[in-house]
Amino acid sequence: MQTLIQFTIDVLSLGGAYALMALGLVIVYGILKLVNFAYGELIMVTGYGLFLVNGSGLPWIVMAAIAVCIAIATGIATDYVAFRPVRSKSVTAVLITSFAFSTILQNAALLFISPRPRNVPLPDFFSQTVEFAGVIVPARNLITIVASILLLVVFAWAMKKTVLGIAMRAAATQFRMARMLGVPANLIISSAFAISGFFAGVVALLWIGRIGSVTPGIGMEPLLVAFIATVIGGMRSLQGAVLGGFLLAFVNTGLNYTLPQQLLEFRDAFTFTLVILILLWRPDGLIRGPATGQRT
Amino acid sequence: MLEVNGLQVNYGAIRAVRDVSLRVAEGELVTLLGANGAGKSSTLLAIAGALRSGGTIRVDGADVTSWTPERLVRKGIAMVPETRDVFPDLTVAENLLLGAYTRRRDSAGVASDTERMYALFPRLKERVAQAAGTLSGGEQQMLVIARALMSRPRLLLLDEPSLGLAPTIVDQIFDMIADLKRQRLTILLVEQNASKALAVADRAYVLRLGQVAVEGRAADIAAASDLEPLYLGG
Amino acid sequence: MRKGNLLTFLILLGLVALLVLVPQLIGVRVVERIATALAISLVLVVGLQTFTGNSGILSFAHIGFMGIGAYVSAVLTIPVQMRGMALPDLYGVVKTLEVSPYLGMLIGGLAAALVAAVVSYPLMRLSDAPAVITSFALLVVLYTILNHWSAVTNGPRTLFGLPNATGLPLAGGVAAIVIMVALVFKESRIGMLLRASRDDERAAAALGASIPVLRWRAFILSALIAGVGGALWGHFVTSFSPKAFYLKETFVILGMLVIGGMNTVTGAVVGTFAVTLAFEGLRAFETSLNASGMFSEQVVGITEIVLALAMIGMMFLRPGGMFASTEIGPLLARRFTRTKS
Repeated sequence: MQTLIQFTIDVLSLGGAYALMALGLVIVYGILKLVNFAYGELIMVTGYGLFLVNGSGLPWIVMAAIAVCIAIATGIATDYVAFRPVRSKSVTAVLITSFAFSTILQNAALLFISPRPRNVPLPDFFSQTVEFAGVIVPARNLITIVASILLLVVFAWAMKKTVLGIAMRAAATQFRMARMLGVPANLIISSAFAISGFFAGVVALLWIGRIGSVTPGIGMEPLLVAFIATVIGGMRSLQGAVLGGFLLAFVNTGLNYTLPQQLLEFRDAFTFTLVILILLWRPDGLIRGPATGQRT
Repeated sequence: MLEVNGLQVNYGAIRAVRDVSLRVAEGELVTLLGANGAGKSSTLLAIAGALRSGGTIRVDGADVTSWTPERLVRKGIAMVPETRDVFPDLTVAENLLLGAYTRRRDSAGVASDTERMYALFPRLKERVAQAAGTLSGGEQQMLVIARALMSRPRLLLLDEPSLGLAPTIVDQIFDMIADLKRQRLTILLVEQNASKALAVADRAYVLRLGQVAVEGRAADIAAASDLEPLYLGG
Repeated sequence: MRKGNLLTFLILLGLVALLVLVPQLIGVRVVERIATALAISLVLVVGLQTFTGNSGILSFAHIGFMGIGAYVSAVLTIPVQMRGMALPDLYGVVKTLEVSPYLGMLIGGLAAALVAAVVSYPLMRLSDAPAVITSFALLVVLYTILNHWSAVTNGPRTLFGLPNATGLPLAGGVAAIVIMVALVFKESRIGMLLRASRDDERAAAALGASIPVLRWRAFILSALIAGVGGALWGHFVTSFSPKAFYLKETFVILGMLVIGGMNTVTGAVVGTFAVTLAFEGLRAFETSLNASGMFSEQVVGITEIVLALAMIGMMFLRPGGMFASTEIGPLLARRFTRTKS
């Protein structure tokens, strides 16, 4: 029973973070049909944002807010630097510029900050533990669960009830038609990148909360998680991203609990095998989403 | 109110519209006829700002040739594309709401217009909360027209509203177009169903190979039987 | 081979011949090493072109297959007594089997092709973004395995002791063969159908082609070449760690391919030359910066930033790269006939 509670908390906290990562990637993909390789670097800049404001004497929550704002700004900047110039060109061109932009950000961090890890400020409650139903769990896992569920609910509400949210869902299937109704293309695209940056920023706080420091390569694992989660969930569907995130967390945690130590190092390989199996069964992912899709 | 001069539209190396000039006066219903591939839809899309084009397009005397589609909507131009682009996973109500995107701050006006649309199209009212992708072809056509009207346009661009619909529904659609005309809405109508279109229109242009072949009063063109092969695609 | 492409092959062969001969005339060791590395890059980039150029799908997994080739050849060719020290936990017969480096390279390529054949089939049904993403995930998985399978790869630590068997003539020779294979493949039935599918999947399917199967074959060929290239590289540097087969390398070969133009073999070759030469210049600059002691820490990353900017610039100005659709042979032939008439 205790193991079950422990397992559930692990899955939910990991899954919440994974779902947010996947959503941040898929919100941009859904509208522009482009895979943002620089998504992991949004997590990196949040970390370095925290590192740079460290010692400013501000309350942690303010520092965290600044760091998240940096991620949002970088997200929007990604659009202007890497995507807008080549948006009308081929899908491959856009993929390459996003990969190149990711490299620029990472190497800029190497060049101007350091290849070595930098410590970031974290509030005390991140390292505390709580007893919950007879199980001792890290407080940050509970924070992650609460924060991610809250964000998912708010996001679902906004996409359903606000005009901008509805317009974004519309643009994901019929971009040109949305424009012919007066929805400004640039507003939709910038909003998508801003939301992407926001999710990346929040995820970064939760993610770096586990590690306590930031390196230029820190975005790699979240990026991969977001990739795999969106592919198994279905690239065209927001619900798919969330489902994929939780499913991946379930599989990873399940492997963590069951695999012997020497095989645990190969966990990613096992996960990937599972992805292949899912794709054999459903090449479009679990949730197919709308069939149509056009770029601007 | 709309004045198009020497319009050209290219798709890569293919020139879909070579040289189209046309005028639509305030309150007028003008129809654009022609065989498949004559360049009718491309002309409409270019006027709506969705295709890059050469030549000039003027609305109320202002040159709008290089305007984006979203800016043209604010100028009062609404497009109903032939592809019947409903937003398939949005509900009927959400589709209508987006039609009023340019008036989103006027929530009272939007609400009353929504009611007006439901009165005009009772079928839509029955399906308010249904995803638009699940509607029948005729219902989708009603939805895209209603959605376009939600922006309170001054000029409505209608691309083949009767395409692929059952005859009774086609009659309904044309009754409604006649209604809109009586309310003094300016309309540019592209149609394959020439006899229906000529019956409601004031004037007509017949396109052939991307150029205006004939223009004149709708009644005259309908009477001149020797023109039929041109717009019937013979 | 069509006449135009025979000309292409001769021109590219000429480039490779220059690459092999000029350093030997100069006789400076550094130049020869750079030229050898360039020839190996040619093998890798042209190998990637056989898949990406024909199918239109970017593959990020290529370097992973290079790693497989390098490690397989290493395990089979490191002298047995050294192998006992470096890889004490190696399994059964492999522990004592020692083959010549040339056979090792061949087996390395075949091993990479075999792995590609097994894992890639389901991925070939995907197009566009999901295809790219899964190839990226595949790279990460291959890296994870290389990094953790200590019994075979010595884990994240450097593996020493490969016989030094790759000289400039060998690398150049393999590069020439690979260029020929890529040109022939491009003109083959599979290559043509694949290129048709790149432009219009349904049209190619209507010709009775099973696109996943076509892509799968191209992917295996590309992995085979990558494996051979990896083994060549292994016997050139003689010691390496899994880090060598990851994102940085992936980025470099992708950069070479897209700057040159991924749709043509000429583009792959010219891109490799251009990027390598630019890289060497920048690296010299970075080294001199570090040597000057102007900065307290090592200056790293300038070369990558410049390459990334060059890629973005190329995508903006000429999204198809330097040779976007036509090989050098037909291009010259056309120009020649035009001036004549």
